[in-house]
Amino acid sequence: MQKIGIFDSGVETPEEIVMAAGFTPYRFFGDPTLQPDRANEHIPPTHCIWTRNLLEQAIKGLDENIVGIIGTHGCDRTNREFDIWIECLNLDFMFFLNSPRKRDNLALNFFINDLKELILRLEEGFNIEITPGKLKDAIITTNKIRKLLKEISDYRKKLVLKGSEFHELVKNAQYQDKNQVLKNLKKKSEELKSIAPFSEKNIKRILLTGSEIDDTEFIKYLESLGFHIVIDDLGVGTKYFWNLVDENSEPIEALAKYHLTKPINSIKYPSYERFNVLQKLAENYKVDGVINIAQKFCEPVLYDHPYLNKKFKELEIPYLFIELTYNRESYNQLSTRFSAFAEII
Amino acid sequence: MSKKKVEYRKMLNATQGLKNVMGRHFLAIEQAYRDGKPTAWATSGSPVELLYAMDVQPILPENSATISAAQKYSKDFIEIAEAEGFSYDLCSYFKTNVGAVISNADLTKGGTGKPTFMLSTDVICDTHVNWFEVQAERLNVPHYTLDIPHVVSNTNNRQYDYFKKYITEQLYDFFDFIQEITGNEYNEEKAKAISQNSWDLSMVWQDIYELRKAIPCPISTRDTFGGLFPLFTMPGLKEPIKLYKRMYREAKTRVDNGIGALEQEEFRLMFEGIPFWYNLKFFGMLERWNSIIVYEPYTYAFSKYMNPKVTKEMVLSQPIEAMSELMLSFWYIYDLKTRIKKFEETVREWKIDGVLLHENLSCRPNSCGLYDLKRHLMDDYDIPCLLISSDMNDPRKMNETQVINQIESFIEILRKRKKK
Ligand code: SF4
Ligand code: SF4
Repeated sequence: MQKIGIFDSGVETPEEIVMAAGFTPYRFFGDPTLQPDRANEHIPPTHCIWTRNLLEQAIKGLDENIVGIIGTHGCDRTNREFDIWIECLNLDFMFFLNSPRKRDNLALNFFINDLKELILRLEEGFNIEITPGKLKDAIITTNKIRKLLKEISDYRKKLVLKGSEFHELVKNAQYQDKNQVLKNLKKKSEELKSIAPFSEKNIKRILLTGSEIDDTEFIKYLESLGFHIVIDDLGVGTKYFWNLVDENSEPIEALAKYHLTKPINSIKYPSYERFNVLQKLAENYKVDGVINIAQKFCEPVLYDHPYLNKKFKELEIPYLFIELTYNRESYNQLSTRFSAFAEII
Repeated sequence: MSKKKVEYRKMLNATQGLKNVMGRHFLAIEQAYRDGKPTAWATSGSPVELLYAMDVQPILPENSATISAAQKYSKDFIEIAEAEGFSYDLCSYFKTNVGAVISNADLTKGGTGKPTFMLSTDVICDTHVNWFEVQAERLNVPHYTLDIPHVVSNTNNRQYDYFKKYITEQLYDFFDFIQEITGNEYNEEKAKAISQNSWDLSMVWQDIYELRKAIPCPISTRDTFGGLFPLFTMPGLKEPIKLYKRMYREAKTRVDNGIGALEQEEFRLMFEGIPFWYNLKFFGMLERWNSIIVYEPYTYAFSKYMNPKVTKEMVLSQPIEAMSELMLSFWYIYDLKTRIKKFEETVREWKIDGVLLHENLSCRPNSCGLYDLKRHLMDDYDIPCLLISSDMNDPRKMNETQVINQIESFIEILRKRKKK
């Protein structure tokens, strides 16, 4: 099946529109084993390493089934780098979606207009028709995926499912064919019902937050140090499935509302509301500590960190902030800091 | 040094008046605090005119940050902010402001007092919004942000229409926000008068820029880097218009008499990016190689009325709609394709020999796309370009010797090209 690539610093792209257009939404993820040598010819080395990594892959050659790309308004990086993607790639369909920064009614109306424009451009570009019926069907499918993911996510809390396994499931859901995803998740959910919990001994229950963390190996690395991610506040995580799209409203409006009311990301305004989301999760999931990861040069997360630090101190919840370089060798260099944190919690 | 040399090298006499004009701005801020008049911090690129129209005294923390740097305080302020947990990699204007506020610095050191409210927009960068979100929380003041859709190389006219509508709606919403906080109401007549002044100010600045096309160039960065500030801080007021007119007249006389800002003008350069405010002598040093900067997109950008769709009639009859249109077409946020085209045109019209591109280490929006811009200018138009890595406010990030060596080699290249 043909795919539409998604370049998004959050999970703000309505995949349902892509599905209703007859394509598989294919969110781009980084490859930490790759050096962004060619991307570095376009983007200075002091810019977000994750987006440079994505550009590197795009320059080297995308999956041949990718027939177009949607770049979504997120942080300064996705916004400014989209033109460089246009410059470097030879694809007819390149659309920049202005997912609004604010979340009020004016922003909602604006977003509805922008979603309509995306639909129009897909229809014009591929000579197809995106009907309300097709959108509704897609919403029903993605909602099923969301419900299943939420159900499966809870097995992390019950110490049945490792955070890394769950991470992989959410990641797959963002680039594989949705019917296949649905099948896999149903199977997984059945399997999990009969699995006994693992031992609680020496396990540190963690809430993981921060920049987009898409390397499952990093989660495995945290697990090797005794951390267990019971809950997260990530795009490859709860932000992808926490709420549902209203199936009974007009579909475009429902999609816009869904994205503007789900747990807020640090790239949106007011990003400090992210703390309220985190506080609830930390309390409901009785975590031992919070780990906030900033990908190197990730400004949105760097701006939020001192505020989160202050607020978690007030709540007396241990909080660790780490700046991460997007390559696996660098993970081990952080072990002293992680181990010290494990000791105090 | 001969008498003649002194005459050639000094900045315009009129520019001396800048001190008074900016002095008035700072007095107005102090007066507003004394009188309990509403004040607002505003980020650059935001519609400062509307604050004046609503009787709110604007304060531009970016302007203040440049003062801190020029007075050599920025490094200390930045380090204070870093001790608060703000990363080494974040915008040095932002950190200067955080440090200055914590230190309770006065206006002369780049301090900014607690305002009645803050206005930010992401028209230029995300940092603006994050910056004021941080400071609004720390100072416990209300904050309004204008969300500006991002224009890319393939944005179409249909999109422009609803982009504009979204901005216009937010501007009206912003008036309600101000009214709720201050009780001041939006007055269309006052807004028009302010718009007229803002338009006039920008037009004189653009006329001054036209004069810079002359060979020899009558004006150097000694006049423009500082001269820019009224465009930021006082658009809509009358005083700076008089100053700019004086600058224009004096520059025109220079042009009419074939007098340049340099005694000997050999190389005409363009400087893209924010200047190193802590090291302005660097720009004076270019004179050593008979080089003069004749165009800075940074100082030109703030004369914002460049979009041909935004006519004077529109500015006067529909000031809010005009403002919305302008926020989508600001020089500093041009998409890559437009940026390349604009640079090529500028190089041709201002007869520029080479372009210096400041790869700003803490301003990512500014340095994004610079490599592609450079490649296109060099490969497609044979325009010599030099990238300089540094920072506008953080002296720790400038390696002066390296930069000087780079410039020296660059000038050598320009010299060889001229001989061909
Ligand atoms: S990691 Fe941070 S800077 Fe990079 S794309 Fe994501 S939000 Fe933007
Ligand atoms: S220097 Fe750059 S990042 Fe900082 S406020 Fe200005 S445009 Fe934004």
